[in-house]
Parts: sequence; C-alpha cells; structure tokens
Amino acid sequence: MHIYRFPATRVGFYTAVFDAYADKEAFLSCSDRQFSLEDSEISVTPDEEKALRVKRKLKQYDKDSLHDIDYVLRSDGKDKEDAAFRYIRCICRAKGAVRERFADPDVFKAQQYRHKVAWEMDKMYGFLRFAETESGVLYAPYEPDCDLTELIVWHFIARFSGERFVIHDKKRKKAAVYNGKDCIVTEFHDPDLYLSADEKDFESLWKTYYDAVNIQSRPHEKQMKGSMPVRYWKYLPEKH
Amino acid sequence: MTPETLKILTESAKYDVSCSSSGSQRANIKGGIGNAAPAGICHSFTPDGRCISLLKILLSNDCIYSCRYCPNRAEANVPRATATADEICNLVIGFYKRNYIEGLFLSSAVVKSPHYTMVQLLSVVKKLRTEYGFHGYIHLKGIPHAEQDLIFEAGKWVDRMSYNIELPSENSLKLLAPQKTKRSLLEPMHDLHYKKLYLKENKSKEKFLPAGQTTQMIVGATPETDGKILRLTQALYRNYGLKRVYYSSYVPVVQDSLLPDKCTGLLREHRLYQADWLLRFYGFDVDELLPSEGNLSEEYDPKCAWAIRHPELFPVEVNTAPYEMLLRIPGVGVKSAYRILSARKYTRLTMDDLVRMKVVTKRARHFITCDGKFFGTDDESRRRNLLLLADKEENAAKAEQLSLFSDAPTAFSALTGEV
Repeated sequence: MHIYRFPATRVGFYTAVFDAYADKEAFLSCSDRQFSLEDSEISVTPDEEKALRVKRKLKQYDKDSLHDIDYVLRSDGKDKEDAAFRYIRCICRAKGAVRERFADPDVFKAQQYRHKVAWEMDKMYGFLRFAETESGVLYAPYEPDCDLTELIVWHFIARFSGERFVIHDKKRKKAAVYNGKDCIVTEFHDPDLYLSADEKDFESLWKTYYDAVNIQSRPHEKQMKGSMPVRYWKYLPEKH
Repeated sequence: MTPETLKILTESAKYDVSCSSSGSQRANIKGGIGNAAPAGICHSFTPDGRCISLLKILLSNDCIYSCRYCPNRAEANVPRATATADEICNLVIGFYKRNYIEGLFLSSAVVKSPHYTMVQLLSVVKKLRTEYGFHGYIHLKGIPHAEQDLIFEAGKWVDRMSYNIELPSENSLKLLAPQKTKRSLLEPMHDLHYKKLYLKENKSKEKFLPAGQTTQMIVGATPETDGKILRLTQALYRNYGLKRVYYSSYVPVVQDSLLPDKCTGLLREHRLYQADWLLRFYGFDVDELLPSEGNLSEEYDPKCAWAIRHPELFPVEVNTAPYEMLLRIPGVGVKSAYRILSARKYTRLTMDDLVRMKVVTKRARHFITCDGKFFGTDDESRRRNLLLLADKEENAAKAEQLSLFSDAPTAFSALTGEV
C-alpha cells in the first residue's frame, strides 16, 4: 500500500486526491497511525491549484458532492479520508452522482459517515445546553464525536437572532462566537465563567421539571440511554 | 414560578403523550426569539424512555369536571395550583434560551367554565407571542365545549391543537368522563380541520395550525378492542386530517371501582403504534389488518402477521417488485425500500448486497427472492418459529441496539414504531 500523508486541511486533502488518483494502491491518511513495514509513505505538499482542479471536476459531475465530502471529512471515522477518496473515485468513474448506489460498498461507507455527522447534528440541536453569563452572553460547552461547530451554528443563529452566544467544542479547542450580528469560528480555550444571578434558579427549575414529568411506574431506562447516549450526559444539567 | 407550583402543574400534565414539535416551519423575526424546526427536536429523555421536546404544563389543575381516571377531578383531595400568564411566559423564555425545550405544550383543567378556561389559555399564548416575542413551537390543548370563535382565534396563534378523545367509545366516555361527550370532542376537531382547508383553498396567507391536530386515546382502561381503536384512528386520519393519534397504555393513577388496578402492558401500545404506522406510511387499510372485534397479534408485528395470512403474495423479487409491494415485506421499512429501489437501478441485487446495505433480512428473507434465489425456509412451522424468535429478539435487544450508531435505522424504527 502507498500511504499518502497530508496535513489535515481541505487543500491538503484535495491535493492528496489529485496526487493519488491514478495510484491503485493508494491509501489516504492524515493521522500518524503506523502501517505495516511493506507500506511506503508519500508525503503530500498542499497545492491550491491541484485542489481547485479536483473540486471543479467534482462540481461538474455532481454539484452536491463537495457537501457530501465535507460531511464525511467531519465524521469520526478512522479511515474517513480514505473513504472520501474512494467516494470521489466512484463519482469520477461514473461521471455523475452516485449517492444512491447503495449496493456499492465505497458509496455506502461514505454515506454512512455522512449520515453519522447529520445524526449527531440533530442530537446536538437538542442536547446542547446554554448557560447565561453575567454579561448576558449564552455559553454552551460540548464534546461532539464529529466536527460539527460550523454546521450547527446556523440553527442557533436563526432562533437566537438577538442574543449573543458562544458554542465551544472543548475537544477540538474551538468555538463559534456570535455577537448578535456576525459569527466567527475561532480557536478557544476554557474561559473564566461568571454566571448570571438567575442561572442557578432556572437550572434547578429545569431539574424539577425533568423529575416531575417522568412517569415512575413505567421505567424504560434502556430506551432513555438509547436515545440519549450516556456520553452526552456530561453537559446536561438534568443528569447531574 | 416556584418549584412547588411547577411540580404540581407538570405532574398533572405528564400523562399526555404527545410531545412532538414537528410539522411547523414558523420563522423567527429579527431580534425575536425562537423558530420551529419542521422535523421536530428532542431535547432530553426521561427514565421512562419518553422524549422531552416541549415544556408540558397545565395553566391550572383546579378542575370542575370529574373524569373517573383523572387525579385532578373535582372531588379529589390533591394540592391545587394555578400559574399566571407571566410566570408561564418567563419560564418558557428562560428554558428556551438555554436550549432545554423546543416550545410550550399548554393545557389546563377546566376552571370555572370551559369558556373561561379557553379565554385564559388564549391570553397566555397571545402574551407569549406578542409581549415576549416568542416564535417557537406552541401546542395548545383544546377545551371541550369552548366556543368556536375562541378556538378559531387560538388556531391563528399556535402551531398545533389537540382534543384528547381519551376513551375510544361513547359508552366508555359516559361511564368515566360524564361531562365530556363524543360531540364536544369531535365537533371542534372537525371545525378546525375544515377551517384550515377553507383557508388553504382560498390561498389565505394567514397561518392557521401549521402543524395540524393530534389526539390521544387511553388503551386498556375500557374494553374496546384494537380493531375498534384502529378503525377510529383511520377515520380520524381520513376524515379529520389528523397528524397523529397517540396511544397511552393505561396507568392506574386513581383507584376507582370502574377502573382496572393494573397497568396495561407496553406491548399492546407498541403493536398499536406499529399498526398506526402501517395505516399512515405503508398503504394499508385497517380491514387488511384485523376485524373490528379482533385484537392485534402479540407474537408477530402486524405486518408480519398480515404476510403470514397471505402466502399467495410471496415471495416477491426485490429486483422487480413495485415500491408498494416492497413496503409490504416484513422487516422492510420506508428507508430500506427506498435503498432497494435506488440501488437496483444500477445493479441486480443479491442477498449480499441487501446485507451490505443494512436491510434487515431476519424476517424479510422468508418473503423475498434476490435475483431468483430464495434464502428463507419453506417449512411452514419452522418459518413461524424463526419469525417469532426474530420479534422476541428485537424487542429484547431494541434498547441495546439503539445506542449503537451502526444500527441507526433500527434506532429510528424503535423510536417511531416503523416496521
């Protein structure tokens, strides 16, 4: 196998696709995972021009493909870069959209990764929790499996158009910051938090509500955990 | 609002099953708070496995009615509480801003009179929309016997309304909820439906119940069969345009000589939801599923039971069967049918392809051929046993499967009752 290693940027990825395209033994990766001794490593230098050519071609074959690939690369699949690469090959071979060819294992895998991101986005629309700080800014820390921040922020801008808020991905040390008008995504470290005077009251009313709305004579804890995986509980006040 | 008030008003509201926040596309305005997501959003799950989407609360539990099954009936000796409009609005905004909830599900006991209660409910909703600038989802419970003008006015401000039928027959209503009549529940549902149709036909821009109506029936408190319940359900979907009918397994909250003292099993509720899905998304008619006096099979899901009764229609060839028939294969849901339909345009599907596409074949294999090959068993009794086992395993394993991403389609189906 020929391991094409590239820096974890979109330009890096599309350059690697360009370089590896004709190589039947190519495997794309940007992690420092060790492969076996027979494998050789090829280091990819990001090149705007090459990346652009790949993207232009893909757009021509299937205008939504770049969107699909962006999602695949945001998933937490260990071989997501290679999965995206194989998906691109399918598109180029077919010279058109392939997303409905579910029986093709390369297509199906890419669709599964894409789906995983979409699935977690839906979960985070529900499970993200904001706390109000002294200055009125709403602050939401979270640790998603996939890299979602740029994707979910639009949902919250639409509903909290007049508020200021921060959505902080603690795992990737970055945050979307919205000031009521504009939004930027930036590197972000744990802030000093001063919560508003009401914050504790609302949190405790929420817990009261959570306990009261449960029907105790009909326990179904497995279903709860199935719909709301335990790994997400860390930032849910009602589970503490 | 004090924690005590919140507790009383929530505990009185919690037996209402509906918590969905879907079906509406209400947009926010500049500087306002909230919008509605058409697919609905679940914000938490309680240990009973139910989702929390809306703040489900009564305005008051101080009731003049005496429905036998209700803990808040007039004669009951329970703590009473009434919230003010501002208390409710503040709570909704406070919870919404923290992303705890998707909106409000407001209901009330009948205080003083149906008219008075409906006026109060309407004033809370209007206040929330105008003074508090809230554009999120609102579900309002309709009060039986309230005047038509009032409920039409309410329809302009909220996303969804519901009248709960509770007991699936006039007799049971008479016995257990003497102040409610079939007419007082069905008439407003009918009126709201036709008002919405009228506005639509005249291309009115006015928003009116964008998420439609729902209702709920208690299952197991009274002797109605599944056949009766599902016939009523189908009529409600077809004639009144309802979006959902919810079923609630009876839980004894009140001791009464006319009521059973045991919970109705969750399996019956589960089977009813499966059948309900067949009526809405799979093109089944209730007459195909069971006779009026019959109950759904406990052993098999209703689609599987139907397929066993119709051996003449199977096996079907997945490479050629029309979509309607794919949907009737046991174990094949809307998503799998769509995958098969899409994938077979490009290749002749084999059993391996189906497995790779994560089409669940445990049940389906006995009812299909892939490229002419059959992978099930012809032996009638052996097949029944395998199907029985498939259902048992699924019910037992459902919860574990839910947590695994790789089984997302299963997880989806367990949530929605899809079969």
